[in-house]
Amino acid sequence: MKSRWVVGGGVCLKQVFGTWTRAYPQDNVQRIELLPDADYAFNMAALDALDPAQGTLFVAFDERFGNFKRMELMQLAMERGFKLDPFIAPSAIVPPDAVIGPNAFIGEGVVLGIGCRIDFNAVVRDGARLGAGVHVRSSCWLETGVLVGDGADIGAHGILRMGAIVAPRVKVGKHCELGWPRLYDKDISSRTVFDTRYQEPIRVYGD
Amino acid sequence: MRSRMHPKYYLSPEIFEREQRKIFRKAWLFAGLKTLLPKNNSFITRKVCGIPVVIQNFNGAIRAFENVCLHRNALIQGEFAGCRPLACPYHAWLYGEHGEVKNIPDCRSVYLISKAEQQKMKLREFPLHAIGNVLFISLNENPFPIEEQFRPHVIEMLESSSNLYDSEVMHTTFHCKFNWKLAYENLRDANHPRYVHRNSLANDVTFLPTVNTERAAEGLRPLTDTSPAGLRAEMKRFSMAAAEAQLINPKRELFHDQVERWGDQDSYYNWLAYPNMHIACPNGGYSFTLEHHIPIAPDRTDLEIYWFTARKKKPYAFSSWNLLSHMHGSRLVTGEDIDIMERVQAALHADAPMPTQGAYEFQNRLIERWYTTMMETDHEI
Repeated sequence: MKSRWVVGGGVCLKQVFGTWTRAYPQDNVQRIELLPDADYAFNMAALDALDPAQGTLFVAFDERFGNFKRMELMQLAMERGFKLDPFIAPSAIVPPDAVIGPNAFIGEGVVLGIGCRIDFNAVVRDGARLGAGVHVRSSCWLETGVLVGDGADIGAHGILRMGAIVAPRVKVGKHCELGWPRLYDKDISSRTVFDTRYQEPIRVYGD
Repeated sequence: MRSRMHPKYYLSPEIFEREQRKIFRKAWLFAGLKTLLPKNNSFITRKVCGIPVVIQNFNGAIRAFENVCLHRNALIQGEFAGCRPLACPYHAWLYGEHGEVKNIPDCRSVYLISKAEQQKMKLREFPLHAIGNVLFISLNENPFPIEEQFRPHVIEMLESSSNLYDSEVMHTTFHCKFNWKLAYENLRDANHPRYVHRNSLANDVTFLPTVNTERAAEGLRPLTDTSPAGLRAEMKRFSMAAAEAQLINPKRELFHDQVERWGDQDSYYNWLAYPNMHIACPNGGYSFTLEHHIPIAPDRTDLEIYWFTARKKKPYAFSSWNLLSHMHGSRLVTGEDIDIMERVQAALHADAPMPTQGAYEFQNRLIERWYTTMMETDHEI
């Protein structure tokens, strides 16, 4: 019997586990809660006890620290030889030419336009709608209901909060957070953060 | 003990104008970080006393000019920071490192400005002084030496620490509804954190208010030397740099291994450069927050916040998110301070009672003595 391990924490963990339990009754679907300890590190003992050859794994974790904790957990799993599957919810509309990377999450009711590309470890949560040719780069986090216009490009580790609307062909740089519920109709420099707790965008200069 | 600070000092447009003229247009003011000007044509912009200013790197020489084109008065550089020649986007007038007009496209055919006339044109330049990586500007054509504004140990500690500032800088602005002086009164009030920040900063650091009876008594006497030199010497006392408190339980954070630490004490450091800058290092030399207070109106102050770590040993992928977590952490404390100061400002009116001071507020009392002398007489710095 093939194993499907769903590892991590949070709402995505519950969703993937529930969906896969129903969708793959013939498989051994296991849920493994794995959260960082007080030193922010993951205790990998639970994964070390598994045989990667016996199944596939999905890392489900939230967007904290710019999605870096999810990526860290994914990398730790890959270093141990685990093969990572993407998760595509049954009600998501995914055209045949869409490219979905390893460990990507496509939630319930998501609509992807033709030619969409969702890179590895990106999360597109329930109800998000992406136009044709949208490129969501690695380790992004798109919250429920966000809208992304045709041809837009969301840089790696980007976070789009509920209410964000990205206009067609807009390029959002790396490490951005679009947290103000509004239309973003101009390109956005990398490392720009729109957070509702702040009156002005937070920007990073230099390197 | 009654404070000298009549409500008019926080409310009156006339007083605000007087402050701008007598303090902000005379003193050295924080202007920006040199770490944001690493290469030729790097620039930062800001407004100083309402004047648009650009500070730009010209092949290593850092200079400050009025950021207004001599042709149609357009802003020459438009972004907060960037890298491009000092050229006006309106009609492409190009300026050189001394503010001279280097090129006017089609000058002979369209403008008919003679070479001699062009050579006379020059952007207004402002004196600039770097202490380590911290830039200070003066709007005074003949500024007094910066050493007359800041004591040697303040300069040394600012220079030493800022030389280790990292070049990746996070920045945002809060538009606050309070007078700029409230910020400095609050910063010098070691008795407020345990009340205002009881669920935030006070959990990590213990600030202890101290009483200096000699200085408290001194603050009650009138200033004896009101000459410009005397007033500058007095002003010098208002800036400080120190390890102000021990960290209760220093926490090890992921980024600590990624940066060179400044110093080796588990202390909360503060630098206060009167009248417009405060720097705190809340974690013993690993990262710094800089607060730049910009008076906009009697009851309006823009608070620009910068966050940066000590210099990175090498680039690491999550560095901007590390700065963001710092920004969010301090947002709580900054928000608590802004709330309490806006509450004070909101209560002010022309007949409001004069504040009552405790002996621990001796430093504020000394500043009030100097400030009211400046405002109520013709004496200047």
